Amino acid sequence: MNFIDAKQVVKNFGGVQALKGVDFTVETGEIMGLIGENGCGKSTLMKIISGVYQPDSGTLEIAGKRIEQNNPFEAIRLGVSVIYQDLSLFPNLTVIENICLGPIIGDDSFFSRQGRYRDKALAILRDLGVDINPEDLLEDLPIAKQQLVAIARALANDSKLLILDEPTTALTRREIVQLFGLLGDLKQRGLSFIFISHKLGEIVEICDRLTIMRDGLVVGIERVADLTIDKIESTMLGRSLEFRKKTTSYASGEPVLQVENLSKKNHFRDVSFSLRAGEILGISGLLGSGRTELASALFGIGPADSGRITIRGQAAAIRRVGDSIRRGVAYVPEDRLTQGLVLNHSIENNIAVATLDKYLNPLRLLDFRKMKSEVGRWIESLRIKTDDGRKAANTLSGGNQQKIVIAKWLAMNPSVLILDGPTVGIDVGAKSAIYETIEQNARDGMAVIIISDEIPELLANCDRILVMGGGRVTGEVAAAEASEEKLQEMMERLPVSQRR
Amino acid sequence: MNGITKVFSRQNAALYTTLVLVFLLMTVLNGEKFFGVGNLFSMAYQLPVIGLLSVGMMVAMLTGGINLSIIANTNLNGIIIYMVLGAVVGAENIQNAGIAPVALAILAGFLASCIVGFINGFLISYFDIPAILVTLGTMTLVNGLNIVLTKGYTITGFPSTLNFLGAGSVLGIPASIILFVAAVLVISVILNRTRFGFSLYMMGANPVAAEYSSVDIQKTTIMQYVLSACFASLTSLVMIGQFNSVKSSYAASYLLVAVLASFLGGVDPNGGFGKVGGVVAAAVVLQFISSGLNLLRMDPFMITAMWGGIIILIIFARAIAGRLKSRMQSTR
Amino acid sequence: MHITKLLRRREIVLVALIVILSVATHALNPNFLSLENITDLLKSFTVLGIFSLGVVMVIVSGGFDVSFTAIAQVVQYAVVALFIHTGGGNIYFAVAVAIVFGTLLGLANGAIIHYYRMPAIIVTIATQSLYYGIMYVITQGQLIYDIPGFFWEFADARVGNFTGAHGGSFGLSLPTFLWFILGVILFFFLSYTKLGRSVYASGGNRISAERIGFNLARTTLFVYGAMGAIAAFASIVHVSLVQAVIPNSIVGSEMQVIAAVVLGGASVTGGRGTVLGTFLGVLVFAILSNSLTLLKISSYYYDVFTGLIILVSITANAIQVKRQKSQRIRVQIDEEHEAAKVGAAY
Repeated sequence: MNFIDAKQVVKNFGGVQALKGVDFTVETGEIMGLIGENGCGKSTLMKIISGVYQPDSGTLEIAGKRIEQNNPFEAIRLGVSVIYQDLSLFPNLTVIENICLGPIIGDDSFFSRQGRYRDKALAILRDLGVDINPEDLLEDLPIAKQQLVAIARALANDSKLLILDEPTTALTRREIVQLFGLLGDLKQRGLSFIFISHKLGEIVEICDRLTIMRDGLVVGIERVADLTIDKIESTMLGRSLEFRKKTTSYASGEPVLQVENLSKKNHFRDVSFSLRAGEILGISGLLGSGRTELASALFGIGPADSGRITIRGQAAAIRRVGDSIRRGVAYVPEDRLTQGLVLNHSIENNIAVATLDKYLNPLRLLDFRKMKSEVGRWIESLRIKTDDGRKAANTLSGGNQQKIVIAKWLAMNPSVLILDGPTVGIDVGAKSAIYETIEQNARDGMAVIIISDEIPELLANCDRILVMGGGRVTGEVAAAEASEEKLQEMMERLPVSQRR
Repeated sequence: MNGITKVFSRQNAALYTTLVLVFLLMTVLNGEKFFGVGNLFSMAYQLPVIGLLSVGMMVAMLTGGINLSIIANTNLNGIIIYMVLGAVVGAENIQNAGIAPVALAILAGFLASCIVGFINGFLISYFDIPAILVTLGTMTLVNGLNIVLTKGYTITGFPSTLNFLGAGSVLGIPASIILFVAAVLVISVILNRTRFGFSLYMMGANPVAAEYSSVDIQKTTIMQYVLSACFASLTSLVMIGQFNSVKSSYAASYLLVAVLASFLGGVDPNGGFGKVGGVVAAAVVLQFISSGLNLLRMDPFMITAMWGGIIILIIFARAIAGRLKSRMQSTR
Repeated sequence: MHITKLLRRREIVLVALIVILSVATHALNPNFLSLENITDLLKSFTVLGIFSLGVVMVIVSGGFDVSFTAIAQVVQYAVVALFIHTGGGNIYFAVAVAIVFGTLLGLANGAIIHYYRMPAIIVTIATQSLYYGIMYVITQGQLIYDIPGFFWEFADARVGNFTGAHGGSFGLSLPTFLWFILGVILFFFLSYTKLGRSVYASGGNRISAERIGFNLARTTLFVYGAMGAIAAFASIVHVSLVQAVIPNSIVGSEMQVIAAVVLGGASVTGGRGTVLGTFLGVLVFAILSNSLTLLKISSYYYDVFTGLIILVSITANAIQVKRQKSQRIRVQIDEEHEAAKVGAAY
């Protein structure tokens, strides 16, 4: 039986058609994956199911009932709960309140009787097999436990369907394994899930079926057992991206960047590697392996506690961003929207901000004409699609936004360029353009580090790949000798201390 | 500029319209008196105080902050000038102090103001404390210092060389308005044409992305609040001349006026956007209202009430305009 | 409770500060810890204390208000003028009229802030000017000395009467007692009622509160309306204690009230703050001012110390938060090195 049955759903925003007639179903007791690039319409669809938006046309059935007038409270009443990426909990309230806030608001008492709900909260938590003191303030719990509280809250609302929006983003591998175990148990009890993620590996691991969306349409609904990661990707992107193993290396000369025994408490430990000019080094590892933390330290955001960094033969103390930039290290961060761009400022400003010194005239004043022409050159050479560089960065698509971030750093002509998840959530055209840009710059002698989950991406672009886990470098392999399977295995081997 | 600044410059267009309307209204109400030499002069003398404070406040508000300590700092500046003059030439000779001691005193006052600004910026940026709290603390502290230094009295009798900035004129133009115009030009260049100004706007819109783009958050914030303090210092120089005195409680009501002028002038309360021109225009509007009503022998508190009322009206008007616009778009 | 968790509580730090200040002052002037002195001290900080109860609620909800002193001033003038004009009346009636009027003025703030989505500080700066300006224009700033007698009686009433060691009689004044009662009511309200919890919830995470179905309009209107009511009540206490209406005697003290609330641990970003902490914050300021008097230090220094205490407390708090953040485990470090060696074998 279908718990959710949406037919021919259409939704327009102004002149933009976000959903162009979408059919979507979730069976009772299944985990339905939902995947698609940013702007494909998946969040609009979820908002229609959870009652935030009304469809312009089409029908929606929840639990076999035709829904005429949906709203968030009606949806909750029907058993649809959304677990947002930010969890949407209250840090300053107790665990009991966070779990039972819905029923507490719903009852007709003037008072908020926490004691009454304590047993209920405790029963749900015990049911989930988690050990949390229900009187604790939420903010005192680690993030993984907060997520369990969010799930407990959904259960307290008698939810039949949980929409999980990128639930694994902030979890370590061990926590993800535990979460998946829990989802499996709940599924056995007849709960349904919509699992939204851009991590293909996880989708294959946990989902029963997968809906793939592109440009406001559903382009594939398949049983996961019948799918491969390649097939998902090609369906999602509309055409398949040929990944060919990188064969020519432009690495030459002495190391540009040498890292020796770099450590930071609670972040990474004893990391050593070196990088030559023109070399492209991949760093892989699961979330919580310490890879992003390492990159941030090299860039001076969260400086290392101990160890040595040598750049072009000179010892480099990197305590802040300025230190790394002065030495020619640039960083395209993991989170484009909050770390990479000042979204509501112009494309021009975003490209120019890291290289302002270049545009100063002898009076130390900014020469905007010079800035405009330089920025224009970058817009052109990276083929950033815009008719006017003065438009705000948030008017562009994800791929073009990422090109802005890359242009910002290429304008500085760095000797080391670190890219963290450079192609997450962007379309295939922009992806290959970015790969091309990276290779071109390596050919011209730039040393590059690419951090990525996507193994094919690393194999196609890197000369050498480091694997991280548990804050350490757990392996190193030349791309020529690596295979997808081998890297996958290296990545997923749990660190000794996390094995059970 | 981009889409958002466009919205704000459109808001500024509304502001300039308001400016003209208020001007016309005051002219109608007052007749030619409003153009009288007397009124023009009194406006010209008063505007710099409101204007300088508003611009100083705006600098803090560009990052979504606020500088509650700006008035206390203004008074501190004047008091330090007096104390230093007294220490250098002796209390009885202050009125006849020469250029050198006056310059020294101005420098000392300026330094004192900058130190307060530095403390603000330092605490805000190194410890991530909301600006409203830090400046509430420094406001109280500096106010306390002012009271201690003056024992709560009004201190009068400044050298005429010093009073020139507030009370004197050059070729018939009040020196204070020349100072104000010069300060506005300088701050416009600083905000629009320097590396620091560019960084400040970016930081105001998204401090995380700014830091990831090599903006030194700490340095920029400290410079921001020192710059805001510089305007306190300038205001003090004008006020000394106008009142020929300093007191710990002078200009207290201007704190809120400065915030209002910034808001009215189109500074985004969340930071990242706002133009000097808008704030200056807003300050002029407030000055027109105040002078115009003054000429009508209106109660000064009526003017206070009007300022508050205008903000509320503008909030309503912006909301109605927004609603009309979206209705027009949806019918299109 | 774990010791660090205990230390994290602002209340403990404030109690320690109060004990140190009190002991030091008492050592230098034994009058300090006498019941006479303490009751007098509490009486003189009753108005500020009552204001602070409203302010902490506003700040916890994620709002801000600088207009409450203007509301108090306006209400005070209007109520006293009304009762002089009509003659008669009693304190209950006066308080009731004041609260109705104050609530309306506060609701106006709440309505503009909520429905027009304006920053609370801007809105309340505007209404402060508006309310206060209009009052001044109407009244021409005239002082009122001959206030009705029931105000006097209210201020002089005591809960409990004792004879002191030196023969003078003293006791807890009724207004102070009401301040405490109001504090207790507010504590229970914020802790145990749905509306009270919604104040914390909307300050803790506004978007979530909206998603989960809290009626934010009601919460916001309630908070600012209650702030107006509390300010109005404080204004009646004020006129009773001062025994005259002085139109510029309340406006201007708003920052001091906010400072006490902040010292008490409320966070201006919302969601955090307690009645007890706020009470202790007010107490620190009260003891500080009294210490200066008893130690014959010029009262000029009061603001200097106040400012220093605010700066030190917010900085200490910020350092603590920063340290907690940096201690957070980002990556579970693999303590045994075996994995690295195995990996290298590839």
